[in-house]
Amino acid sequence: MNQRSLIPMLALLVLCSLLLVNSQHQARRLFIALEQAQLRQQQLETEWSQLQLEQSNLAKHARIDAMAKSMGMTVPTTDRTRYITVGGR
Amino acid sequence: MRAPSRKAAARGVPFSPSPILAVQLPAWRSRFVLFLMFIAFFGLGLRAFWLQAMTTDFLQEKGRMRYARTLELPAVRGKIFDRNGEVMATSLPAKGIWIIPDAVEVTPDKLKQLAQLLEISVPELKKKLDASGNFVPIKRQVEPEVADQVIALGIPGIYARKEYKRHYPSGPIASHVLGFTNVDDAGLEGIEYSHQKELAGQTGSRRVIRDGKGRVIEDIAYIREPQDGRDLTLSIDSKIQYIAFTHLKQAVEEHKAKAGAIVVLDVQTGEVLALANMPTFNPNERQGRNINHVRNRVFTDTFEPGSTLKPFTVALAMDRGLVTPDTVLDTPNKITFGSKSVGDSHGHPPSMSVAQIIQQSSNVGTIRVAQKLQSRQMWDMFTAVGYGQALPRSFFPGAVAGRLRPYKNWQPVDQATMSYGHGISVSLIQVARSYMIFARNGDIIPLSFQKVTQLPQPQRVITEKTAMQMREMMERVVGPGGTAPYAQVRGYRVAGKTGTAHKVEGGRYVNKYVASFVGLAPASNPRIIIAVMIDEPTGGQHFGGKVAGPVFSKVASNTLRSLNIAPDTSVANVIMPAIPVAESM
Repeated sequence: MNQRSLIPMLALLVLCSLLLVNSQHQARRLFIALEQAQLRQQQLETEWSQLQLEQSNLAKHARIDAMAKSMGMTVPTTDRTRYITVGGR
Repeated sequence: MRAPSRKAAARGVPFSPSPILAVQLPAWRSRFVLFLMFIAFFGLGLRAFWLQAMTTDFLQEKGRMRYARTLELPAVRGKIFDRNGEVMATSLPAKGIWIIPDAVEVTPDKLKQLAQLLEISVPELKKKLDASGNFVPIKRQVEPEVADQVIALGIPGIYARKEYKRHYPSGPIASHVLGFTNVDDAGLEGIEYSHQKELAGQTGSRRVIRDGKGRVIEDIAYIREPQDGRDLTLSIDSKIQYIAFTHLKQAVEEHKAKAGAIVVLDVQTGEVLALANMPTFNPNERQGRNINHVRNRVFTDTFEPGSTLKPFTVALAMDRGLVTPDTVLDTPNKITFGSKSVGDSHGHPPSMSVAQIIQQSSNVGTIRVAQKLQSRQMWDMFTAVGYGQALPRSFFPGAVAGRLRPYKNWQPVDQATMSYGHGISVSLIQVARSYMIFARNGDIIPLSFQKVTQLPQPQRVITEKTAMQMREMMERVVGPGGTAPYAQVRGYRVAGKTGTAHKVEGGRYVNKYVASFVGLAPASNPRIIIAVMIDEPTGGQHFGGKVAGPVFSKVASNTLRSLNIAPDTSVANVIMPAIPVAESM
């Protein structure tokens, strides 16, 4: 092989090596981003569970009942309820 | 090698001006040095070969241990929802505080702080710190914030480990349905136990590369994908559950009863809408749990159903064309079988129609009806509605089959007592389900604790005509001349049957009672079945109609409203008699 063709080959090799380094770096960077996103997902799922629990706690029938009673409200009786159903029954 | 007498070429000056200094070294010395160097290089080569070729696997493994780690990927336990999507059980992250006893070094001051954070007394904590073992838990399922404070104390040898804690927002109201889990997130009771496999999921693991700062930088392999537990949607309606629980609690307290249970079923789907027990427990608190409070009496306790069984005997006779509601039978005050005689606890005319027998819950009358039947037929009937039959194991843990003796061993007296619900034992859920044949116009379907998407295949037990006639007769039970006027519901036609049974202790009847009421509403087109049982009421009343009837009335009224079921009669239909008919036992 003559020296003339050796030089472009060398340049190509250097280029490829640099590209390899770059893509490895990219891979790591993306991987860390993925990790963080997954962590965030877990945190959000936990938060969602917490909020669901909070909602259940706040909407507890025992709590509603107690609050309604403290405000002097009573359970509606059948004679004071109008039932609305499909077909007029 | 050249001769040592080299000259500095530039100036032509000899390197060693004095010939005396030109020492003649022996030739072997340089060769010896050369040899030593060769040996050394050979040694290096050998070592390199050894490391590269002979012990590669071992060394690579060692290397991997430095940068690769296997991470546990915990699976989150599935949530439990009620039928409207309200959370009934959910897992939230918590921390477990663990120690390596040998590594713990703590000052008295920090010990005090630690005890305060963990809410343990100092001597108790000291004992725990002195424990033997490698990795010992001192407190599990601590709030994450508390765990962070514990770690911030900086005591060597104390670690926090990630775990989950189960939360039950409904607390003691639905505790018997849901059950609870142990510290390791395994279900121990109720739905948590029966659906452990689906709820638990599977922990996974993965191999990763970590950099010097402990950050994960690359995945090597997923060994196992973690699988989160499946969420469950129950058939329970938390509103109806609350209604049922509060009224049951009220009744148990009012009548100073030992225990009580209630179950509400959806007639069309077989779903359990509510199921409550008294006494109860708080599943959020692990300490001080009384085993007697944990028991789900709806499934695990059997009792003699008493009069609630009478409609089945009568329905069977009607179905076979042996009697009609208007058939008049002579009803003496007592019927005698050998040494045993059976009577009623209230007076009645010497002859009664079948409808009256049900309305006034007459033992004698029911025996007269049963005497027209064969024991085989009665056994078939009881079996068809589920008595003596175990519920499927997956349905609920610890559900009992009750006791229904084989018909071949029945004596005439056995057949007679069984016709009015004695000498047979059933659980409350069995009684509630059996009433489906009246509510569903003659057929029966399996029950479900999960929301039903596909209606199950019904099994016919009695004809539609019998079922409707029976419902009419049971409507009179809650009428002014029946045993349960207190079970009336304003605006709705309801049908039901009271039951009052002596308890059996050590094989003998004692003066303790189980008062029960099973009813369906609205009677014109039944949508719900409610079964109530009050165990050992001691407040002066013990009849099913007086103790369990009012619970039915209140729960039915509120449940029907909550389900948006329109009234089927005028709202001013409640007529209370001065003295209701006492029930026979």
